[in-house]
Amino acid sequence: MRSRDLLRFSSGALRGHRLRTFLSLLGVAIGVASVIMLTSLGEGARLYVTGEFASLGSNLLIVLPGKTETAGAMPFMGSAPHDLTLEDVKDLRRRIPEIRRIAPVVMGTATAEAPGRSRDATIIGTTHEVLELRKLKMAVGRFLPPGETDAPVCVLGAKIASDLFGNGNPLGETVRIGETRLRVIGTMAPRGTSIGMNFDEVIEIPVETSMRMFDRSTLFRVLVEVASHERIEGVRREVIEVIKERHDGVEDVTVITQDAVLETFNQILMILTAALAGIAAISLTVAGIGIMNVMLVSVSERTREIGLLKALGVSGRQIVAVFLLEAAIISASGGVLGLGAGLGAGQALRRIVPEFPVQPPVWAVAAALAVSVSIGLLFGSLPARRAARLDPVEALMRKRG
Amino acid sequence: MIAEDVLRQALRAVRGHRTRSSLTMLGIMIGIASVILLTSIGEGTRIYILSEFTQFGTNLASINPGRVETTGMHGAIGGTVHPLTIEDAEAIRRIPGVVATVPTTMGAAAVEHAGRTRNVFVYGVTSEGARAWGMGVRVGRFLPAADPSVGAAVAVLGPKLKLELFGDANPLGEHVRIGGQRFLVIGIMEPKGQFLGFDIDDAVYIPVATAMPLFNRSDLHEIDFVTSNAMVTDSVVARVKALLIDRHGGEEDFTITTQTGMLESLDRILRIVSLAVTGIAAISLLVGAIGILTMMWISVNERTSEIGLAKAIGATRRQILWLYLSEAALLSSMGGLLGIAGGWGVAALIHLLLPALPVHTPKEYAFLALVVSVAVGLLSGILPARRAAAMDPIEALAAE
Amino acid sequence: MILLSGVSRTFEVGGRPVRALRGIDLEIEAGEYVSIMGPSGSGKSTLLNILGCLDRPTDGSYRLDGQETSRLSEDELSIVRRHKIGFIFQFFHLVPRLSAAENVELPMIFAGIDPGLRRERISVSLASVGLTDRAHHRPDQLSGGERQRVAMARAMVMQPAILLADEPTGNLDSASGGEVVALLETMNRERGLTLVVVTHDPGIGGRAGRRIRLADGALVEDKRAEASPASGSR
Repeated sequence: MRSRDLLRFSSGALRGHRLRTFLSLLGVAIGVASVIMLTSLGEGARLYVTGEFASLGSNLLIVLPGKTETAGAMPFMGSAPHDLTLEDVKDLRRRIPEIRRIAPVVMGTATAEAPGRSRDATIIGTTHEVLELRKLKMAVGRFLPPGETDAPVCVLGAKIASDLFGNGNPLGETVRIGETRLRVIGTMAPRGTSIGMNFDEVIEIPVETSMRMFDRSTLFRVLVEVASHERIEGVRREVIEVIKERHDGVEDVTVITQDAVLETFNQILMILTAALAGIAAISLTVAGIGIMNVMLVSVSERTREIGLLKALGVSGRQIVAVFLLEAAIISASGGVLGLGAGLGAGQALRRIVPEFPVQPPVWAVAAALAVSVSIGLLFGSLPARRAARLDPVEALMRKRG
Repeated sequence: MIAEDVLRQALRAVRGHRTRSSLTMLGIMIGIASVILLTSIGEGTRIYILSEFTQFGTNLASINPGRVETTGMHGAIGGTVHPLTIEDAEAIRRIPGVVATVPTTMGAAAVEHAGRTRNVFVYGVTSEGARAWGMGVRVGRFLPAADPSVGAAVAVLGPKLKLELFGDANPLGEHVRIGGQRFLVIGIMEPKGQFLGFDIDDAVYIPVATAMPLFNRSDLHEIDFVTSNAMVTDSVVARVKALLIDRHGGEEDFTITTQTGMLESLDRILRIVSLAVTGIAAISLLVGAIGILTMMWISVNERTSEIGLAKAIGATRRQILWLYLSEAALLSSMGGLLGIAGGWGVAALIHLLLPALPVHTPKEYAFLALVVSVAVGLLSGILPARRAAAMDPIEALAAE
Repeated sequence: MILLSGVSRTFEVGGRPVRALRGIDLEIEAGEYVSIMGPSGSGKSTLLNILGCLDRPTDGSYRLDGQETSRLSEDELSIVRRHKIGFIFQFFHLVPRLSAAENVELPMIFAGIDPGLRRERISVSLASVGLTDRAHHRPDQLSGGERQRVAMARAMVMQPAILLADEPTGNLDSASGGEVVALLETMNRERGLTLVVVTHDPGIGGRAGRRIRLADGALVEDKRAEASPASGSR
């Protein structure tokens, strides 16, 4: 039988029973749609996180004071006998030429007061370099002045500025934090949350001013931007060496590369997405069983027709092909329908929440199509073989019902 | 029509087409089994995580400086909020209903002995710390009960730290250097194991008054306190809050977290996650339901003349409806029962192969799964059953 | 007990009305043996369906046992069919997955008859058609004649007042057909059941005590036999 005739024969049979063909393919459609949706959401999350990291700049090292043996435990509240100091930072910059930018960070919470209003804020003590390092943008005014580590000035996050000064221009105004009075020299553009830090709710002040304010002698973090991506690991080791030398030979800092953190996130999200998609894919097995069930009914209904075909000289192999094709058409149509629905839903979601880049990974789309066709072939093979095995004489004699 | 007859007719109909009934049931079985399996894993994980948290003893609450809303991350930073002091802890200790307080300062430092060094977490606490956190001392004793504001240079080692630094030798009476400072070892803790990945045994406990200068702090990270029993916790917490506000110049610049409160939030989150995963598994149940709908529809079409006959001999529309509804419900509940057994079995098998993975199948969930499978059958069967009930008997009888 | 007055039945076929029955006036007394004959398309089956309350007249009235059927609801008609009417069809319409006894039981299931009472009635019914030893056989294990007799047992089990047979021998060989007709006539004679047989076979139709002929939906002949051949021997 020529393939075009084959196709026409099979699709004719399917069109004869529209409802049950539709219901059979609906099962596959639901399965494929949910797998596509889940992988799209997972991919969206992954892209969102990696995008956030990318906005950070990919050549970043983070130095934390303190070190632990316990695998995976970072000293998030790190303290160590040796302080991580501004002198350490100066030395690092001087001795490692591949460091493009370096910024010390001190962090604390305090109440910021402006005439008539006050609110709690996160205070970040740092230097001018953090503007480029973290790719921040100003709204009005300027950032912390370069070279100044101790000055009575501050830069307000977008929400702090509006909370303390409403619509008015805060430049030149005075903000009081504890005993310290600071002049506002700039406001940052709204930025939202980036890797756990909501910049809109932050006030940046010079690092030494903050250390005095919070009575700290050690830095919270040191952010380092490396000139080139390939040199990150090398610079990481050099940083540890320099600090170790300065700290009496004790290695009491932890230096993490953004790559490592990103990689961990990446893997976790990918595994999570795969697991959820796998669970959704169980439904494809059920859909396949449904197709097999309907095909078996179909075969027994068309027993006489099959007997006739055989009597006319159609080979068993061709009979198998007919029924396999029917099953494959059902499942492939379901797959295409599900793909469309899943993609459509993803698009709709993107329109509602544009920040979340929901999109299906390419492998998922290809896999969905491949799997949907395979389901038909796999679950259709039993009915197809049963059809081929029918004895034509018996088949023709069999009365209907 | 008597229920027994309805059931018998449904059973006959299901048995009349063994293959197709089995396949239809199989679809539901897989759906229910995956829901049961994932719920079991979810439930097991939830119970495991909660028990991990409760291993520190109940009736425990902790106070951290700063209010949670401002940064979401409290304690580690401090600020111009009022610091928590040892005197605060002493005042809290005097409140009736408080049976222990643990002023705490912590950090990471290098612990060194005879050339071996290990970087571990250092907990600066007081004598009540061990009991408050539900930890026991294996050898020697915990920190001595003394004026907490006076720091002695004594240390209690976690068992893993002890093993790394001393091997099998007895460390009592020996000295270690923590952050450069000399400490006398007076005890070793009982092994407690891990807490969500952190090795609790790889740590050292020293008096808080010694830890503070070691880490260059004049304030505490945290004050933990234990109430006499779970019932009075709320009122005691209220009094602690009032006391601290008073001591902090009228400001509520701290956060009190009771274990119940934390456990409740955690429990809520875990339940939601478990529900979401179960929901995804339920997609296969939906597909199984479509399978029932399809096969019942085919059945009704095949048995058109039978339906006409039934009406001719006096069946009402409602009776026909119920016959087909119950057939669908029977298919799905049989599949459901098999699925419950299957899901439970696979869960048990997985637990056998991977003892680390906690599984637990609550009986209520199994019962609920059964109810759901019956409901699925009834819902899927509605359309075909209505079609059967609405058939014109004359046309039906004429069909062949 | 059966009173049809001006009964018409019009169908919509392909957008055009087809009058299957035109103004039928017919009265049948209890215990009569009536045959309805006519060429195909004459409306015989339609008339039977209306008599059996499977169909409603478009016009006119049908009083059964004094009750006006056109005023009854679907459910009420089902109950009438249940208790007053027994059907026998050309194609038997037995449920293939149930045994003979279970097929006979069916009307009682729908009637909600207490299970304890059923067994006796089933065996009596099967005995009356001579199939006691076939009670547990399924239809595919029975011959054509046996199947029709099971259908008769089923039709009788609720002790209806009327038996309606639509081409009862159409699917049987002459021997079995003869047996079936003889049984029907026995029921009519010995139990006083009103028997209405639709047939195209004059050999069968001629045996009835009253012969009705339809043509083009109208009643054209209504003859009573002087000496009904069924009462004598063949």
